[in-house]
Amino acid sequence: MSFAVQAIGLSKQYGRRWALRDCTLEIPEGKVVGLVGPNGAGKTTLLHLAVGLLEPTSGSISVLGARPADGPEQLGRVGFVAQDTPVYARLSVAQHLRMGAWLNPGWDMEIAESRIKQLDLDPRQRAGTLSGGQRAQLALTLAIAKRPECLILDEPVASLDPLARREFLRSLMEVVAAEGISVVLSSHLIADLERVCDYLVVLVASRVQVAGEVSDLLASHHRLSGARRDASSLPASQEVIEESHTDKQSTFLVRTSDPVHDPAWTVRSVTLDDLVIAYMSRTAASERAYRPQLKVMS
Amino acid sequence: MIRFTWLQLRPQARVALAALFAFAVLLVVTGPHLAGLYAASGIIACHGGACATAASRFLSLLAITSPYPIVYELGIGLILAAPAIIGIFWGAPLISRELENRTFALAWTQSITRSRWLVVKLALTGLAAMAVTELLGSIYAWWADPISKAIGLQGPYPVTSEFGGGRLSLIIFASHGIAPLGYAAFGFALGTTTGALIRRAVPAMAITLAIFAAVQIATPLWVRPHLIPPDRTVVSGPSFVESAGMNLGNLTASIVPRQPGAWIISSRAITAAGQPVSTVPAACMPPPPAKPPDPGHCLGSRGIREAITYQPASRYWPLQWIETGIFLVLALALAAVCFWRLGRSRT
Repeated sequence: MSFAVQAIGLSKQYGRRWALRDCTLEIPEGKVVGLVGPNGAGKTTLLHLAVGLLEPTSGSISVLGARPADGPEQLGRVGFVAQDTPVYARLSVAQHLRMGAWLNPGWDMEIAESRIKQLDLDPRQRAGTLSGGQRAQLALTLAIAKRPECLILDEPVASLDPLARREFLRSLMEVVAAEGISVVLSSHLIADLERVCDYLVVLVASRVQVAGEVSDLLASHHRLSGARRDASSLPASQEVIEESHTDKQSTFLVRTSDPVHDPAWTVRSVTLDDLVIAYMSRTAASERAYRPQLKVMS
Repeated sequence: MIRFTWLQLRPQARVALAALFAFAVLLVVTGPHLAGLYAASGIIACHGGACATAASRFLSLLAITSPYPIVYELGIGLILAAPAIIGIFWGAPLISRELENRTFALAWTQSITRSRWLVVKLALTGLAAMAVTELLGSIYAWWADPISKAIGLQGPYPVTSEFGGGRLSLIIFASHGIAPLGYAAFGFALGTTTGALIRRAVPAMAITLAIFAAVQIATPLWVRPHLIPPDRTVVSGPSFVESAGMNLGNLTASIVPRQPGAWIISSRAITAAGQPVSTVPAACMPPPPAKPPDPGHCLGSRGIREAITYQPASRYWPLQWIETGIFLVLALALAAVCFWRLGRSRT
């Protein structure tokens, strides 16, 4: 199996702070992959390493089987839309397209121009005067028209209003449908990704908490509720991701490949949102547990 | 990448060319009249000692003829300021703006390696900086040609200070010849590298100006005098004092005998034994009621001489080449710092 992104023991250190530590992950090719995690999980660092804006402190990362930004050819194979979709404020839309044509041998001006026309953008307008949504669309156009094999987007919709968000994701899906390219997009909000992704990677504190096809993930996670009981009394095939208890009742979010037959349980399906939050809060809880107790010196 | 670099440079280049054009218009309007005054001054057909007189007369006339002194000084000011302005407005934002606005993420993910991006940016913008400076210098040299010729003919005792000293005097040296090209390359590289290190445009601009000014002050004071080991001479005898070469007030020399146009780096009075003399002996300068003796004779009879360290005028071009070379090497070294700073493991 070939991977869009493959990282092994990937770490990036700034001074004494680790932005990403010992991250190992595999993102399959030909899918729309959502990379979800809380702020500070290392998503941006990971994606910057993937497009070669950064070099790892240790470990390795390959994109489409090659070292990121390793020469013009590899740069041409990967399209990138950075966080907050930066563009040159003083240059016009048309000048951005010309820049794309000058700097990318694989540039397809037809795709670029038809997208600009479809978005109803004035080619003479300066990018600095575009709305957030229009700017994001321009950045996406630049990344698409270079005809990449893999498109990487870092929180592309985080700063957009709901309508612009939907428009952006819709045009992204049109491209994916037309070109069949691999897409990796990150977000701290699962709601952004739910509609577009068919594969999900949850990254918390540099670690992959869970990864898999969205349909498989939804099928293998259940919410069980019933009379109060301890997590240890559950069968070994059921991994407890999240648990909560009242005096009389217990609720578990479990991962299992087997169907749940225990009649004591009320079994409900989970939403992607529930699932991601369960994995995120599990890590937060385990970190709290490991934190050494502070003692007041007397 | 060349076309894209030009596209990004265009607004700044337009401003520079507009300023250059405005200045050129001023020079073209006043130039022919200046040339006419020169032709009428009799310098062209002069022989021997008459030349110095004619040149002095011409320069004295210019000094009181508007707008020549102002245009002359404006030109020198522009040539001196151009490298700093280029460093501040072309150099400092070049990389820092990309980092500040995060457009580096766009620039460095096109199908072009980061080192090629940087090479083209630095080379093209740096060459444009030098070209603008050269253009400014050339049109100014054309305009000021009669003045430069007259200064050269004036002899060792200039009658007017309006038009500066010889070619080795501090301001004339820095604003003529090839030195401004070295300053332009250095100013641009300094601004660019400061921007790459500080990563914010406005502070980088301020720091560029401060460092550039410091270097421009330090160079003529401490560097240029020693680029070639200076010559030394000891002058004695009454004639030196009498010919106004020695300033009695502070006992320094203002000319070097038989070395017209020499640049005096230091001079001081010494005794026959080589001890420094800090004040004119009281006997040579008695208090007012008494009639002072002839100072040259008085100092000479006491064995007091003048020791002068200087660069002869013939070293003008060697000094220009060496100084320009040093600034070009500094510019390349700063560019290397840029490459190091923008290396992938450090961004």
